[in-house]
Amino acid sequence: MNTTIWLVRREFWENRAIWMIPAVLGGIMILAALFGRIDLMALPSQVPSRAVGGGFLLAVAATFFAVMSIYSTWYLLDCLYADRKDRSVLFWKSMPISDTTTVMSKLGTALIVIPVVYFLAGDLTTLMMAFIISVRASSTIGGALWHVDLWLQLQVLWFYLIVTTALWYLPIAAYLLVVSAWAKRAVMLWSLLPPLALLLAERWFLGTHVLAGQIGERLLGYPRVAFHDDSGCCSWVTTAVDNDIIRTPASIWGFFNVAGFFSSQETWIGAAVGVALIVCAIQLRTRRTEI
Amino acid sequence: MPAVIEARDITKKYGAHVALDRANFSAEAGRIVGLIGPNGAGKTTALRAILGLTAYQGQLQVLGREPFRERTALMRDACFIADVAVLPAWLRVDHAIDFVAGVHPRFRRDRALALLAKTGITGKRRMRELSKGMQTQVHLALTMAIDAKLLVLDEPTLGLDILARSAFYDALVNDYMDETRTILITTHQVEEIENLLTDVLFIDKGRIVLDSSLDDIATRYAAVAVAADRIDAARAEKPFHERPMLGKVVLYYERPNLAKLATLGEVHTLSVADLFVAKLSGVVE
Repeated sequence: MNTTIWLVRREFWENRAIWMIPAVLGGIMILAALFGRIDLMALPSQVPSRAVGGGFLLAVAATFFAVMSIYSTWYLLDCLYADRKDRSVLFWKSMPISDTTTVMSKLGTALIVIPVVYFLAGDLTTLMMAFIISVRASSTIGGALWHVDLWLQLQVLWFYLIVTTALWYLPIAAYLLVVSAWAKRAVMLWSLLPPLALLLAERWFLGTHVLAGQIGERLLGYPRVAFHDDSGCCSWVTTAVDNDIIRTPASIWGFFNVAGFFSSQETWIGAAVGVALIVCAIQLRTRRTEI
Repeated sequence: MPAVIEARDITKKYGAHVALDRANFSAEAGRIVGLIGPNGAGKTTALRAILGLTAYQGQLQVLGREPFRERTALMRDACFIADVAVLPAWLRVDHAIDFVAGVHPRFRRDRALALLAKTGITGKRRMRELSKGMQTQVHLALTMAIDAKLLVLDEPTLGLDILARSAFYDALVNDYMDETRTILITTHQVEEIENLLTDVLFIDKGRIVLDSSLDDIATRYAAVAVAADRIDAARAEKPFHERPMLGKVVLYYERPNLAKLATLGEVHTLSVADLFVAKLSGVVE
């Protein structure tokens, strides 16, 4: 356990981008709140305060989540490769740390530590922005940003996202680790080539699209499995604004498909593939020290 | 007392290339063993096998463990510097010390700090800001601060100036070495470590061609420099190597008749470097 903490700390030393990117992102948003024009004042007053507040929270969180997804992908591709590229792998291997612990620490950093950092940075940004806007703007707008229950719902949403994306994208993350442990150069290219080659081979020789379907499903199928779609499961609050109808979810709870996600065959087949690929990555880390 | 390293018929192939060819060797506690061989002879592969960094065929026991299968446990008792300046560029000196102190049960922080204090390298600097020689100093300080039973050094002083090299070897012998430890060392500068070695292993084309203590070398081998007119008599004593030198010919013998040689010319004992060149340059026909 102690060793794992040191290994995670090491990831922060090596990849300062883990905290610098969210810090810069949050900084930009806070600056925008400080000096940007606040057009919210122009919003018709009929728009429900909760819709404004919820929209604000989700927009900030979605931005952080999108940036995080891109960074984590890059991190996973780079982490095992970087040690071999600069030849420090031999230093790390001179320590009494198993390759399993090392690989798992990197996987855990990508799937848990980095998301938590972005989550905290997102929360902090949200609070600072809400405070700044409240001071600058009218009380109606300011008030819309301080719905405590919405804020709490967002915390639960983050938690749910971290847990379920970690499980759903495990095979993708583990595959990236395999490439990172294996490739001699151009990890990005190598991560794309094998699936692309297999996909085309299947198409040419068998005329089928099973693999393409599977990969597409894994990349894009997450929201469908983890969340209910909006077909009637949730209570919506509708508000008429001029000629438009604004639909606001009454609460976020109705959207979580917890039981569905954790009982889905897709979730667990993916996780099993992920575990197999992790074993591959560990074996490669054990045997491949040269670049 | 069992040997610290015990290798039986170790073979390692890279495709068609045989890096280690049924190599046999052993090392006992309290010895400083030099692994000496030309480039591409299999030195690095042998060290990698000993340290559990590569799989191999054959029987290998290091400190009673199978290195490849038990690398993690082995690394609690063994430490190594496998190549030059392999500390990552982003690592800060103080973080490096914190990290090793955090994960290595046998690391002694005070010792590492004392070693670093001598080099004048300060804590907040990153490896990329240090010269190659200073990076090596940091790596050596980290490694020497580990209370290991086996220390493996692969070209440890590459990039160090002559003062730092000599200081390192002095510290190695005087402060670090004791009868419970074993050091296995490879270097191209054989002359530099010759007087601190207790044993040598010569490796050539993946095979161990000589496994001997330095005391044995002194008694077992001799060379004689003879004038051209006595060369046939000298050759009759079955030298294993000869080479011309300053108008004379030097002939090298294993278990020679020293009394006979003395009548032919000036007899002298062999340095490790001499013996290495003689052994690996091939036999006279």
